[in-house]
Amino acid sequence: MAALALDTATKGRNQQSGDATDGSQFLTFQLGDEVYGVDILRVQEIKGYTSVTKIPNQPSYIKGVMNLRGTIVPIIELRAKVGMETVDYTAHTVIVVVVVQDRIMGFVVDSVSDVLNISKQDIQAPPEFGTKVDVSFLNGIAKCGSNLVALLNIDRLLTDGDVRVAAGF
Amino acid sequence: MSDEFAQFQEAFFEEAAEHLAIVEEGLLALEQHPEDLDLLGKIFRSAHSIKGASGMFGFNAVAQFTHKMETLLDLLRNGHKTVTPQIADLLLKSTDCLKTLIDAAKNGSAVDDETVQRLSTDLATASDIKVKAEAKVETAPLPLTPHPSRCFHIAWTPPAWLFQRGLDPLQTFKELGSLGTLSEVQVDVTKLPELATMDPEACYLSWTMKLETVKGRDIVDAVFEFVHEDSVLVITEEVRGKESGVRGAERPSSTPHPLPLTPHGVEGEPKPLGEILVESGVVTRDALDKALSQQKRVGDILIEQHAATPQQISQALQKQRESAAHAKKGTDTASIRVDTAKIDKLINLVGELVITQSMLNDLGFRFEMCQMPVLLERLAQLERNTREIQERVMGIRMLPIGTAFSRFPRLVRDLSAKAGKKIQLVLSGEETELDKTVIEAIGDPLTHLVRNSADHGLEPPEERLDNNKPELGTIRLNAFHEGGNICITVEDDGRGLNRERILAKAVKQGLIGEADKIADDQIWALIFKPGFSTAEKVTDVSGRGVGMDVVKRNIDALGGTVNIKTELGKGTTFTLRLPLTLAIIEGMTIRVGKETYIVPLLSVVESIQPKIDAIKTVVGKGELINVRGTYLTMVRLYEVFSLQPEFTEPAKAILLILEMEGEQVALMVDEILGQQQVVIKSMEDNFRKVDGVAGATILSDGAVGFILDVRGVLEIARRGALMAA
Repeated sequence: MAALALDTATKGRNQQSGDATDGSQFLTFQLGDEVYGVDILRVQEIKGYTSVTKIPNQPSYIKGVMNLRGTIVPIIELRAKVGMETVDYTAHTVIVVVVVQDRIMGFVVDSVSDVLNISKQDIQAPPEFGTKVDVSFLNGIAKCGSNLVALLNIDRLLTDGDVRVAAGF
Repeated sequence: MSDEFAQFQEAFFEEAAEHLAIVEEGLLALEQHPEDLDLLGKIFRSAHSIKGASGMFGFNAVAQFTHKMETLLDLLRNGHKTVTPQIADLLLKSTDCLKTLIDAAKNGSAVDDETVQRLSTDLATASDIKVKAEAKVETAPLPLTPHPSRCFHIAWTPPAWLFQRGLDPLQTFKELGSLGTLSEVQVDVTKLPELATMDPEACYLSWTMKLETVKGRDIVDAVFEFVHEDSVLVITEEVRGKESGVRGAERPSSTPHPLPLTPHGVEGEPKPLGEILVESGVVTRDALDKALSQQKRVGDILIEQHAATPQQISQALQKQRESAAHAKKGTDTASIRVDTAKIDKLINLVGELVITQSMLNDLGFRFEMCQMPVLLERLAQLERNTREIQERVMGIRMLPIGTAFSRFPRLVRDLSAKAGKKIQLVLSGEETELDKTVIEAIGDPLTHLVRNSADHGLEPPEERLDNNKPELGTIRLNAFHEGGNICITVEDDGRGLNRERILAKAVKQGLIGEADKIADDQIWALIFKPGFSTAEKVTDVSGRGVGMDVVKRNIDALGGTVNIKTELGKGTTFTLRLPLTLAIIEGMTIRVGKETYIVPLLSVVESIQPKIDAIKTVVGKGELINVRGTYLTMVRLYEVFSLQPEFTEPAKAILLILEMEGEQVALMVDEILGQQQVVIKSMEDNFRKVDGVAGATILSDGAVGFILDVRGVLEIARRGALMAA
């Protein structure tokens, strides 16, 4: 069973890295009172919030850069990026470090909750409205127990106009 | 396996390049000392290595061509022939050709088949090989061969490590096959273990075979030369005659046959129009050369027609070069050869570091206040270790500058032939070490400078004699360390820069006013302006006014400076001053509000605390500050970067006077924190280029700090000033 789960997970990655919706594991986290998930294979690590260095003349959702063991990693304020109001950071505030198109980036979330196994049939197309996040940033919605988890498409979310344009794609 | 093979190939190309350099260097030296047998031996050995290795990798075109060179070299070495200028020239041209052949094998670039053929023939003629070759060809098809056919029974059990050393038994069989007829090849698989216990890199097979050939025992033995060690090899000869006797002579391997020189997937480039016209007899070579010399570059024409400014053209040219350099980069391997002594030292140092670390660990676990001095002492030791390791690791990237100099003897030789001048090149300081990236980057600027010296600096022989100078002009290249920098000088004893002519030209181009009084240094600096050339005649070597600006630009990009010293009629010296490495820069840390930035120390001229009345505001230009009579643009860093500063009053803040590309600006910051070495980290790796920021670094508290791009900051400020106006 475990082998099977791993198998489908890798398959998901092989097929289309940002679009792993055929049953895999998701790291879930909170923004306000909503639960969001990202494909766990894209997550490099989770880090407590440490102060970052502000980059001059950048959009407000770009928090700055931090030193991750000698690598310069840009940090994105997810709340600002998806159009939510920002809040003060607490002891639960964490940075989720992900790999997007071979680049390492971090995004700030209120807190991380769990790692969930979500099978493909539990994932539905994102609703037209009802979440605070722009629907185009979602891969789908999954029902998990009593909770709804919005699955984020981090490729869209974090490269949209940030990396892609700059990298000349 | 294919990956590994590719790796070996890479090593081959690297070595081939080194051997080529040795051959070329040797040949150039040989021209001066034709009798030097040691030199010939060296050249021969390098050529032989190229031949052997290229054959092993199946680059037959390379191997066969090198074989021809080797034949001639061998004759020279054995004294059967003497080195004449013609032969030296032929060999040099062949080296160039070999270079293109190797490039073709490496990345499929085009090869001029005709040149290869012509040089092959020339080489053969020079070594009188033709007579022998024909004799051999004649004997081959005769029904009765002079040697009786021989039959060898070979039983070969290769060593288990065969594959690990990158050797392929298939190659051996192919070679045997080329000697004659290989038959009854049988493989013994009885030693093959179970799949589960099999070592995929070990060879478990052995073979028996029969070889019919006209070749002798020694040639058959030679096939196994590389695999002989640890092999169980039994070769028995069965002497027999008659019917199968002739067949062995089908493919005598030593008979020269025409070279199959078109590499896979390469199509010859179309010939230039001029060449075709000359070949078909429509025009003569002289007429073509004349026409070509009158031909102007698009850029020059555009400038003449005032369709574009020299600056625009030079920018476009820069772009073109960059993209070309970019394309080139893709094929270059980024490996480096390091002296084992350097690595051994490094390992020793790491050993010391480990000891220091464990001592500190030990101390930490049972620390008492009274041990404070011990702790401090060990920390000092740690610091020493760390600094030394840092230096040594940087040292690994350091290469002697001789690698960048090595191309010049050839360049100068060709230039002097072309320009009809007698030039000697004197190199010194080749052993001076500097960073590999810097070495790669200074190649082009140095080439420009040397060409410039050869073409414009040095006078033709008659003119030199008229001026009581030796006929032989001298160009000196020297490299040495000075402070934390490396200095490279390009010196010629030619006519020197002509002040009047440069001035006249500058006035004509509108760079300066006629009545302007200008110091010598500033005049010399004019020759680095794009599109500026005083040469009366434009040659294909230089004189188009692009070149010197490239030198300046490239050196600036490396964080270096160019200095000119010249005396009319005596000569010119260009001095390049460059940082030793690009990975670490000396920086001044400054603070604006809560943010810390680093300014490259090289661009800082001075820092001042301004007086209120020294500042003037000019519409559309922003603020200007009067520094000892000169008005400089003043840039408030907090405005450029939209920060909350501590001071908005210039009188309370600090002004850094920065210099870039000959222009000075004043940058307003809150405080200067200090000066330190910083390691440059790329922002583009994970993010993107940020305007005004040249890179990032890790500060001593572990936070990220940005290194300012002075030019970028100024551009942002100018945009802002324009918008405000």
